[in-house]
Amino acid sequence: MRKFTKISRAGPAPMKNKTIVYTLYFLSLILGLQTIVSCQQKPEEQKQGITITDNLGRELHLPKQPKRVFGFTSAMAEMLFAIVDTANIIARTPDCDYPAGVYTKPIVSNYPVDMEQVLALKPDLIFTSEGMTPLDDAARLQELGIPVYYQKYRTVEDVLKGIEDIGRITGREQVANHLADSLRKEVQQLEAKYKNRQSKLQVLTITWTDPIYVYGQNTLLTDKLRILGAENAVKETFDQPYPALTREYILKLNPDVLMGGTKEKLEQTFFSQYPELRKIKAYKDGRIYAPTGNLIERPGPRIVESLKELEGFLYP
Amino acid sequence: MMRGLYFILALLLIAIVIVLGLQVGSFESGLATIAEAFLNYNPDNTTHYAIVHLRLPRLLLALVVGAALAFCGYLMQAMVNNGLADPYLLGTASGASLGAVLVFFGFIEITIGSFYMPPMLAMAGAFIVTLVVVILGYRKRQLIPAQLLLAGIAISSLCTAMVGLLTFLSDSESKLKSVIFWSMGSFERASWTLLPYPAVALILALILFAFLQKQLNILMLGSERAQALGVQVSHTRWAILATVSIVTGFAVATSGPIGFVGLIVPHVTRGLLGTTGRSNLLFCAFVGGLFMLLCDLLSRIIYPPTGLPIGIITSFFGVPFFVYLLSRKNYKFSS
Repeated sequence: MRKFTKISRAGPAPMKNKTIVYTLYFLSLILGLQTIVSCQQKPEEQKQGITITDNLGRELHLPKQPKRVFGFTSAMAEMLFAIVDTANIIARTPDCDYPAGVYTKPIVSNYPVDMEQVLALKPDLIFTSEGMTPLDDAARLQELGIPVYYQKYRTVEDVLKGIEDIGRITGREQVANHLADSLRKEVQQLEAKYKNRQSKLQVLTITWTDPIYVYGQNTLLTDKLRILGAENAVKETFDQPYPALTREYILKLNPDVLMGGTKEKLEQTFFSQYPELRKIKAYKDGRIYAPTGNLIERPGPRIVESLKELEGFLYP
Repeated sequence: MMRGLYFILALLLIAIVIVLGLQVGSFESGLATIAEAFLNYNPDNTTHYAIVHLRLPRLLLALVVGAALAFCGYLMQAMVNNGLADPYLLGTASGASLGAVLVFFGFIEITIGSFYMPPMLAMAGAFIVTLVVVILGYRKRQLIPAQLLLAGIAISSLCTAMVGLLTFLSDSESKLKSVIFWSMGSFERASWTLLPYPAVALILALILFAFLQKQLNILMLGSERAQALGVQVSHTRWAILATVSIVTGFAVATSGPIGFVGLIVPHVTRGLLGTTGRSNLLFCAFVGGLFMLLCDLLSRIIYPPTGLPIGIITSFFGVPFFVYLLSRKNYKFSS
């Protein structure tokens, strides 16, 4: 048989008790709100750090000037080694091979990003460039409290500004500005030297042979060639910076100069695979050159070195 | 009467699409330029050169590869008496892809002597994998179609996983692009030196099966009935397997693995001509070639200059048609 507990109803509380209850309630409410407000004020306090905006327009908030840094690209490693105190560069990617100092740093996987490894390194800031690190990875790292700073380069001047930019962020402005200025001077000299060239050499630069991928119009190489009084043979702007081209398209471009490998190497691979392309002017004139991979590809402090190498090919 | 009309229509459409295809490219070229390129060829004129040495081999390769894949699909479906079969189920395509990928990722030199290795390795991969699948398809000296298909699916998956592993471990974006480009199919490698391989293989196979068409039609009734009607089932199946391996191997080696053609075109053929026509195989090859030509033309119009990967186009245009075909109430796989 079920037993029912008799619930006795309490009578109305006296007025005095009610006042105390309400007072306590409001006090706790005020205290609670105060706690919430103070919590929300933490970021305000954080804002005493530094807020920087990268080249992609992403706003990054740093609690202090970054000291422990590294680059997610081999070009960025070159930039950092040229500007930052090398003791503050804490890692490198598997592709980093210049300068020799990179080999003293631990390797961190940048593709795919090894989040745990990055966390363990405790960087204050990671530098990378547009298209080299997926934005999703940067967002995930941001969630973990590690900001990722993107640079974007369309011209040689962008690279020089990038050098100054890194100097400003890392507190090495003097070193960076001095480097950028001296490089800028050399670039200006080269530009002045070839400014009035009437006939501009049309240059096609291949990065891969099957399918044929080339340096497109919207790459840094186009500006390098402009400085040297030449032109990228690919005039059309494609969606991709390194578009795939057909043999017919290349026949139509008919470049004066072809870059992408030595004559012997391209004869064995490129021209034996695509004999139709032996009709292009560059092949007939024997103007086929092999630029140093890590010079032509990398937007970094060796940009003048790269320009001088290209100058040697264009005007032997 | 209708059969002849379909043949004439298919040939006429092939001719029209080839003429249209010859006009699409980087060089401006109307009908007059095309006529001049063939009637008064000037090797120093790059437009003429592009039409004769780049566009025409490309179109012919598309025609041959489309025909080859459709033809092999028809053979496979007849052999296992199942409308879902196609040469790719034998692992031919994934074996070819694995072979090509080994070269792209640098495990084998890209050129050995004067030979460009990706097609060679693709061919080797296609043959080896197909052979393994066929061996696994046997039980007590009997080829069991269901077992063959399952073995094909399993080995295909293994090859795909190996390609995936190599891709994952790749350290080069360009290599990845090569593999992706290869895996979706393209006729950009077409040339007069490459064209004879798949073309000769297809022509020989068509001649062989012109004599075996009757056995093939009987085989579609089921192996037991075919045996009862005097067909050498085992011999016919071996002939089909060898043919499919060789013809598909050449097609994949020259153009990459292009899916769906071998699956849908045989159904189109049977839908139009019935299931037991004497000229079904030849018509199937024509329709496959026409379909591939159309896909290549569309790909180059939609996404110049390289064109979209051909496998994407074949699926996009093939699937709706296939669904329509299956939804027709009077459609059956075999009579």
